[in-house]
Amino acid sequence: MNQHLAQRLVWIAAFAILAILPFFLGSYHNDVYRKMLLWITLALGYNFLFGICGQVAFSHFAFYGIGAYSVVVLTFHAGLPFPLAIALGLLICVTVALLVAIPATRLEGFYLALVTLALAQLFIVVLNEGGNVTGGAGGIANYRLPSIFGWRIAGPAYTVVIVLLLFITLFILLKLDRSWFGRACRAVRDNPEAAAAMGVDVARTKVIVFTLTSALAGAAGMVYAFVDNTVNPPIFGLDNAFLILFMVIVGGSGRHAGAAIGTILLFLLPFWLAPVVGYHHQLVFGALMMAVILMQPKGLIGIWDRLGDRFSR
Amino acid sequence: MTKRFGGLTAVAGLDFELREGEILGLIGPNGAGKTTTFNIIAGAHAADEGEIRFAGESILGLPPHQIARRGIMRTFQHNRPFGGMPVLENVMVGAHTRFARNPFSRKAPAEEERQRQRAKELIDFVGLAGLRDADVGTLSFGQGRLLEIARALAGEPRVILFDEPAAGLTAAELDRLAGIIRGIAGRGIAVLLIEHDMRFLLSLASRVVVLNFGARIAEGTPQEVRSQRAVMDAYLGDAAAL
Repeated sequence: MNQHLAQRLVWIAAFAILAILPFFLGSYHNDVYRKMLLWITLALGYNFLFGICGQVAFSHFAFYGIGAYSVVVLTFHAGLPFPLAIALGLLICVTVALLVAIPATRLEGFYLALVTLALAQLFIVVLNEGGNVTGGAGGIANYRLPSIFGWRIAGPAYTVVIVLLLFITLFILLKLDRSWFGRACRAVRDNPEAAAAMGVDVARTKVIVFTLTSALAGAAGMVYAFVDNTVNPPIFGLDNAFLILFMVIVGGSGRHAGAAIGTILLFLLPFWLAPVVGYHHQLVFGALMMAVILMQPKGLIGIWDRLGDRFSR
Repeated sequence: MTKRFGGLTAVAGLDFELREGEILGLIGPNGAGKTTTFNIIAGAHAADEGEIRFAGESILGLPPHQIARRGIMRTFQHNRPFGGMPVLENVMVGAHTRFARNPFSRKAPAEEERQRQRAKELIDFVGLAGLRDADVGTLSFGQGRLLEIARALAGEPRVILFDEPAAGLTAAELDRLAGIIRGIAGRGIAVLLIEHDMRFLLSLASRVVVLNFGARIAEGTPQEVRSQRAVMDAYLGDAAAL
């Protein structure tokens, strides 16, 4: 019981530190910090899908975009009440995810990757050609977070909302991961035939995980929509869908801490690299990715584990 | 049941019965239809004709996870561990169908702990006690086979199907395996043993069904089967094995 309490205190302390930090950051660093937290949230979800359940999909940022655009369009173009727009936005994410996953996961192998690749491409086309509804290539701007009980969350206080999103996402994923469900996901990843023989409904598990992680990406997108108070297509394209895959692999796929570390590293790296190599940081990413796959398939977290082993001996 | 692959009839009108707590051996030379029969029961293949009844319910044609959910667990001839998990977690996957449904419930951690305890007992039962936290990649082939058994037992099966469990094991491992299989039957679990190794099977089974060309050519106790001419003929090249 004491251990339980200690654990809870650590979580509360971590939340407090992350939530108080933005109040001491300038507006530029606050912006970088927020985006990094959003990337970590996305990476945690993607890691559950890719690293834990073994499904390759390229639609994570499309769902991020579906969440962002639906809350904005439904609230400001359709004039729906904000909570209803959020609920409907999540429903749209879940529906699209089910439509993609149910046929794709019944088939073996790379079908989910192919279908989600197509979805991601299609989504960008829809955004660009969406006319007044999506604002085309320029996206939608000039809207503000509706006030709640006369109070409008803004500035560092909104960063607290993002920290909350991160913690809720992590809570859901950790609970699932540490239960029979997480084990079933790993079993599906490691050996689907044996998983089925143990009573795991393989197709159903894949559909649930894809839908859940897509909905979590959608929720993150809704929070993102009010970070810059503008949404436009490039963010939600394939570049970022591949980048998040890199982040998870570099950090250590299948591990929550690994996903977070890989994301922080690859998110911050361009800021440090920009003065040195300009916009050629993609080259550095590519090299890093190759190095990790060849030398340490368990990612940076694998190196950390080995160091830990060495010290404890 | 009957199963055809193109023009080949792999299993031709085979029928048999499996009772609680018995060890039923299914033997036959290569290509006799043993593995096909096994896969039909386990749900991996569909049969063309026939019926399988389990506790009054027809289960033929159910997918593998539904078969497992009814308490019919299996092992694989070529071990199929979950490579990304240690031994203990592998065994806990076997308990998949034993968990209540909601991972967010307050009772979930206690249930997880209870299943972990049970998994440890099963690991001890098959004799892998020192290897609970081992990476499955470090296990020997024989240890991998024992892991398969512990994992299947974690599902609290009423029936356990062994697909050539003796294949690839050393003599010492075979003795150990025989003890474990007797122990399983002793718990009241029905054991169906599909085996190529005659000596191993005849020493273990309480009843034997002999297959050849997909049909039953003999059935009885190991002693009865051993004395039948048809069996000798089917195994002509293998007669020394008797």
